[in-house]
Amino acid sequence: MSKQWRSEEISRREFVGGATALGAVWMFAASCARETPPPPAESAMAHAPGAESVAPPQELHHFSAAQAADIDAIASRIIPTDDAPGAHEAGVVYFIDRTLLTFAKEQVPLFDAGLQSLGTSVKEKHGADATFAKLNAEQQDVLLKAIEKSDFFGAIRFATVAGFLSLPKYGGNKDYIGWAYVGQEHAFEHKSPFGWYDRPENQQALLGRVL
Amino acid sequence: MRTPQTQPATGKTYPTDTPVDFVVIGSGVAGASVARELTRSGFDVVILEQGRHVPPEDMEHDELGGFIWPRWINDPELSPQTYRKTVNDKAERRPYAQYARVVGGTTFHFTGNYWRFRPIDFNEFTKRGAVAGAAMADWPITYDELEPYYTAVENAVGVSGEVSTAKGEPPRQPYPLPPLNVHGPGVLLEVGAKKLGWSSKAAPMALLSRPYQGRQPCHNCGFCLAFPCEWGAKSGANYTMVPEALKSGKCELRSESYVRKIETDASGKVTGVIYFDKDKKEVVQRAKAVVLCANGAETPRLLLMSKSNLFPNGLANSSGVVGKHFMFNGGALSDGVFEHEINGHKGPVVTRISQEFYELDEKLGLVGGGGFDFRVDVPAMLRTLSMPPDYPTWGAAFKKEMRPWFSHSLLSYAHTTSLPVETNSVSLDPELKDAWGLPAIRTTYKEHEQDMRLYKHFQERNHELLTAAGAQKIYPNPIKDEPGSTVHLLGTARMGNDPKSSVVDKFHRAHDVKNLFIVDGSSFVTSGRGQPTLTIQALAFRAADHIAQFAKRGEI
Repeated sequence: MSKQWRSEEISRREFVGGATALGAVWMFAASCARETPPPPAESAMAHAPGAESVAPPQELHHFSAAQAADIDAIASRIIPTDDAPGAHEAGVVYFIDRTLLTFAKEQVPLFDAGLQSLGTSVKEKHGADATFAKLNAEQQDVLLKAIEKSDFFGAIRFATVAGFLSLPKYGGNKDYIGWAYVGQEHAFEHKSPFGWYDRPENQQALLGRVL
Repeated sequence: MRTPQTQPATGKTYPTDTPVDFVVIGSGVAGASVARELTRSGFDVVILEQGRHVPPEDMEHDELGGFIWPRWINDPELSPQTYRKTVNDKAERRPYAQYARVVGGTTFHFTGNYWRFRPIDFNEFTKRGAVAGAAMADWPITYDELEPYYTAVENAVGVSGEVSTAKGEPPRQPYPLPPLNVHGPGVLLEVGAKKLGWSSKAAPMALLSRPYQGRQPCHNCGFCLAFPCEWGAKSGANYTMVPEALKSGKCELRSESYVRKIETDASGKVTGVIYFDKDKKEVVQRAKAVVLCANGAETPRLLLMSKSNLFPNGLANSSGVVGKHFMFNGGALSDGVFEHEINGHKGPVVTRISQEFYELDEKLGLVGGGGFDFRVDVPAMLRTLSMPPDYPTWGAAFKKEMRPWFSHSLLSYAHTTSLPVETNSVSLDPELKDAWGLPAIRTTYKEHEQDMRLYKHFQERNHELLTAAGAQKIYPNPIKDEPGSTVHLLGTARMGNDPKSSVVDKFHRAHDVKNLFIVDGSSFVTSGRGQPTLTIQALAFRAADHIAQFAKRGEI
């Protein structure tokens, strides 16, 4: 059974085709959450009303500081910071740190091996003292380009997007900045029109009537 | 101000050692409806539901928890399944037949597409003839026999919609609620349909457009498919049939009660059921009759697990067809990207549909038909992870596409027939067991060649509809010969008049067991055109009506 953070493994028909059918990604989740208690912050708030707006403290429970710096740097090349916040500001590294302790526990070896192998490439190319996090963006992109088809990169890409766009209670999407970036609001209610096409004047122009 | 509906209690308490009038297995749309109807006829009912009762405070906008964690659906470690494409393949461990394991069943977090079947869905075999490799058959009932129950269900749960007089639409009464407000995808579907001259209408949805029976209408939060409704606006069994059954004072709901066997006596009549309570302790509940409503995968599994000396092939399986003819509803999907903001992630999943090709021109040589909607049915995380293959996957270029993709794209979704194939089945895995020591569900499934042609035909129509709606880019999703997993679980204990080729009769009574009734998606003879839930519920209302009459006449 495959347990990978890899978006290409998701059959799109599976999850758009029905309620919760998510094949490979769902398998990824598996039993790990049950076997390992989540970091303390989560269990306390998991079932409180309104819990979804409460974020845990930005603390590392799995990665070393050096590993976290590299993960943060990789995530920051996947969703870079420009005039808008990116993976770094969203706290994606804290999300990944928590997932590897909980429901993505089985992927710890993949992340460990991936970081180690990337570290070796960095040192071969840029000297014994170099780390991925300390390279400039251009140097980092060259190295990531070389591994973009790897399982490790697939997993960290998936996890970066998930950390950018899942509820802050999982450690990323700090203050909903990922949602704000794509235009998804933290709200329990919306009023129409929701976009351009359902505005009454545009319905009239397109259809000759307002539905 | 968000004011979630409160969940009902568990109702009256019944002793386990005194036979209750009816044990209903499953609290999904079928079981809860049967329970509600039987209590209204004055009978005592115990509902056994394997899942838990989810309190409103657990209903979050949690995409990771809802889709990726097994939060509502089966945990694949506790309740594993296997899949194989054909009987010659080795089954691999994989979740395949999906449903929500909670009170309310899959209607707990459904979309609420409440399409009626049409007359053709009941007699396609007679009208269109045999299909090689498919066990086509007419239903033992007609549309006209089911029609009053469609109306009763729509009024009971609160369906929003509008009457259409397009060709092929049977006449009907007005819907109890007006249509939901149109959203951007709905407008675009109408634009495309208008340009092509296709019929279209407001989608019939089990989702309130106005307050109804003390429940609040849809507030357009947008976290809909696969999310429970924190407003109580979705007309799922957890908000309608279950509380109404419990309010009758004639019903007990036991959640986390997982039935492992239906017991019979030496005369072949059902005496009760054995189930595991939430502490995995075995409990025997005696019953005068059992109504099995566990869904199209769990129903055949339980029948096969209930074998005995008298029923060596499984209970109610003298025909050998229990578990066979597994059907899912096929379809075809294409993404379209448009010039302006759609923001289809807000509002209901579906607001307008086209059923122009409900029945196809016979010259095409295809069997069945289907309908279309335009939708954005997953939130930002999964939508972003499903960008088309020619989009950048990381870096500044990827980031730049995230918002336009999310706000300017939608899915054209064609929902179709799939054929009953004898070798497509649910059976017991001979090796793998669940956490209770019971055999895992094994699915065997491969699309019929005719269905593959049908899906491709509908994929071409998706392209036409998106083009006519003004899509700038169109991305057809690949069509595979097995769907990967599925949620519409149909056909595995089919109805029929002949005990040699069907499991239940036209009143849902098992041919082999006088006091066992089976009603859910497993009862379907053919698959209809994509949206089975209203028909499951109408069958449940009808079955309960007849079961109550049998009971009153002492014929059980």
